[in-house]
Amino acid sequence: MQKIDKAEYQKRLDRISAMFSDMMRHADELSTERCPYKNRFDQCTAQFGCRNQQKSDVAGEPFLCVGDDKLDYRSAWETA
Amino acid sequence: MASINDITNEFVRNEIQEYLEQPDERESVIETFAKISPRMQEIGAALIDGQHKVVDELTLKAIADDIQALEVMDDGLIAAMRIVGIKFRENFIYVPEVLGCARAMKTGMAHIEPILSASGIKPAGRVVMGTVKGDLHDIGKNLCIMMLRGSGFEVFDLGVDTSPDEFLASVEEHEATVMGMSALLTTTMPNMAVTIETFIDEGVRDDVKIMVGGAPVSQEFADDMGADGYGKDAMECVALAKKLVKEQAEVES
Repeated sequence: MQKIDKAEYQKRLDRISAMFSDMMRHADELSTERCPYKNRFDQCTAQFGCRNQQKSDVAGEPFLCVGDDKLDYRSAWETA
Repeated sequence: MASINDITNEFVRNEIQEYLEQPDERESVIETFAKISPRMQEIGAALIDGQHKVVDELTLKAIADDIQALEVMDDGLIAAMRIVGIKFRENFIYVPEVLGCARAMKTGMAHIEPILSASGIKPAGRVVMGTVKGDLHDIGKNLCIMMLRGSGFEVFDLGVDTSPDEFLASVEEHEATVMGMSALLTTTMPNMAVTIETFIDEGVRDDVKIMVGGAPVSQEFADDMGADGYGKDAMECVALAKKLVKEQAEVES
């Protein structure tokens, strides 16, 4: 089996960590203006109920998010 | 200077043309991908598209064909993740898509883990993560897991609605040194304390360091319930996990 040099592997981890840290900072900023469960197609990916979920016209498609992101979206999340 | 046509994979070419708007960044990515083999470009394309099963198959085959693991990491996974990062920064994709790409990256890395192990490289630590009983919110936990894995931790994800017994069983099964609990609701936050109590009752509280996080959680609350640490976000979670791994090693030595 091939081997990996520990120092070389660590360099890769450092690069991944730096990239991911930038993504986390952006995710944090974005969370103030857009629900993090809402994907690029404005579909809801949450496993819980939310009043902003609207059934899609297409069968089998995920709920659409109809939240306007102007208010704190978390108040719409159902807690039970 | 390389040109976009030096990149063989059509999907990668389209991604660069469609989403990379800053000229210097675009040039740099083209330069990188032009040097990458078609096989690795194919892995990258699948990762960018969040196709974890395809990444799984292609990475497995590449390693079986004796392509160097570092080449797979550099050219197949990390180079593609850079494009994902740019697309996210520019709001072409959002957190759910990023998590899909991170999942694809994890499936690729899984085939590199046996080589790491054979090379004597251990994970930074073993961490069990879950959202507490009654709580179905998982984005924060998932971002923490993405950061932890990216920092070299081996993470066992218990998902949402995790009972104290499930936490306990997983920590014991995987011999984890750190356990992370997440809660988003004030109504489910007390289940963190219930879980800690379970570890105390079973006489295994000293076997694992426990960290907690989530929007309503605070350092004060973490201290009150007897957790070993509190992280306010995914980056703090990694720093905290590193600290707790070190502390646990000192306890056990």
